[in-house]
Amino acid sequence: MMHEAKSFVVDGLMAEGSEGVRLCASSCGGCGSVYFPRTVSCRNPDCSSTSLEEKLLEGRGILYSYTIQRYQPPNLFRIDNWEPYALGLVDLPEGIRVMGMLSGFDLDNIRIGETVKLISECLFTDPDRGKVMTYKFAPEITGRDAQ
Amino acid sequence: MKPVYVLGVGAHPWGKWPNKPQVALAVEALQAAFMDAGIGWPQVEGMVAASSRFEGGMGWGLHANEVVQTVSEQGIPCINVGGACAAGVIAFHTAWAMIASGQHDAVAVVGAERMPKGFIPRPPGSQDDISDSDYLRWVAMGATNPAYWALEAQRRFHEYGTTPETLALAAVQMRSNAAGNPYARYREPLTVAEVLASPMVSDPLHLLQICPVSDGAAALVLGSERFLAHVDRDPVQVAGCAVGSGQFGDPARRIPTIANNVLPGVAHTSEVVGAVSRALKMAGMGPRDVDILEMADNSAWHLLAWPELFGIVEPGQSDWMLARGRYARDGDLALNPGGGFLSFGEATTAQAVLQLCELTWQLRGEAEGRQVAGAKVGLSAVLGLGANGGSVVLKR
Ligand SMILES: [Zn+2]
Repeated sequence: MMHEAKSFVVDGLMAEGSEGVRLCASSCGGCGSVYFPRTVSCRNPDCSSTSLEEKLLEGRGILYSYTIQRYQPPNLFRIDNWEPYALGLVDLPEGIRVMGMLSGFDLDNIRIGETVKLISECLFTDPDRGKVMTYKFAPEITGRDAQ
Repeated sequence: MKPVYVLGVGAHPWGKWPNKPQVALAVEALQAAFMDAGIGWPQVEGMVAASSRFEGGMGWGLHANEVVQTVSEQGIPCINVGGACAAGVIAFHTAWAMIASGQHDAVAVVGAERMPKGFIPRPPGSQDDISDSDYLRWVAMGATNPAYWALEAQRRFHEYGTTPETLALAAVQMRSNAAGNPYARYREPLTVAEVLASPMVSDPLHLLQICPVSDGAAALVLGSERFLAHVDRDPVQVAGCAVGSGQFGDPARRIPTIANNVLPGVAHTSEVVGAVSRALKMAGMGPRDVDILEMADNSAWHLLAWPELFGIVEPGQSDWMLARGRYARDGDLALNPGGGFLSFGEATTAQAVLQLCELTWQLRGEAEGRQVAGAKVGLSAVLGLGANGGSVVLKR
């Protein structure tokens, strides 16, 4: 089988291992706060720790809210075969709420409170970068598998 | 601290003014404010400009310097403050402090803006990498500003059962308020059906529930008690004035971040809630003492959420208040009686200055075509990019 070139939409945003895609986060050694994307300092005003560790987030969480983008965003957002898509806001068990595209949902039937899982999908194909992937959230039960 | 008064206010109508440079809009607003105050340039001891990276300000946001170099090179301090959409209130706060401290007796505040067409472009020299949230939100998910507000609105539908009709009514109310306001850009009446028939941009927000962008300018002159004696004007006093930034754990979906830490007990939109609470405290007032709220309605959702966040009504009560006309000019709380951002279109740095001009006109009883009868206390509230919040309490 031919190996297909693949890259992530932004360096340092996500990682892919044998268990699937993960979000690249930081975890504070003092107060335990988790930050996504990675950061240079804990921003909890009650914490003076300077130790941050890298942490990968599994990205399984609860859909807190969503919207549907009916118009194509400006050019900085590059996507092949544009059509309206859903954006979701997901509560992760690490105490953070993460925004991302949704995948595998019927746009007329998205339910707040649903359990979602993290996947990666191709946004566009580029001659130099191959398939350029971003992270998305999909229904845990009926969602498509990561490409 | 010494008491501070609004000596004069002025504005250039909002709209699209392709033939007027930004500095011309600023000068017109300032001249109107000076005339209103009954003073001239020689009495002005300082100039604070709400400045942006958009057109004007010699490309560096030096809007105050540009104004004095255009109109009167008299050696006064020129202070240019940033704060995105909250820059106007930060400029006001700066001028207030210059007078309250006793350093000056009359300081002018100006915000003038000509907005770029379409989406606001990223500034030159931006870091196109993971350290820049504004880059990330575009490339990784294409999140527009309305998408952020829509996520909040959708959650409100879920939590409080807000209906599309009520959300549409908020936009209808703003147009109705703007009908008699010569400074507003959009004054034609709207119906709930028309709002709901406008294109869906980001569910549940329709086009007519999202603030567009405009060109406009507003200015005011603040002065001390000593100066007040020289002008022939009913005094509107700055009773409270505060700016602030966000709190860790704030659940609001803050533009342009893609994630936030959510902690229990932290106020939603904490940068604004904190500023409002400190401004009211300084005034010795509570949220229910407010007759008029001039707030940043970047979307129709804001009009429902913010009066609740400030403690003026209970959480979830805004729908009821709006539907029963209690947020109208003759209601319990006059909510954006001049029409709000939805009827003006946002001219970023000028918007928060205009809020304070509007409150001044209202408190003096000079808000022709949109007057709130007998108003004594006005509260302003605005949010800017970077978690900038600001609020002013004016009273007569
Ligand atoms: Zn910490």
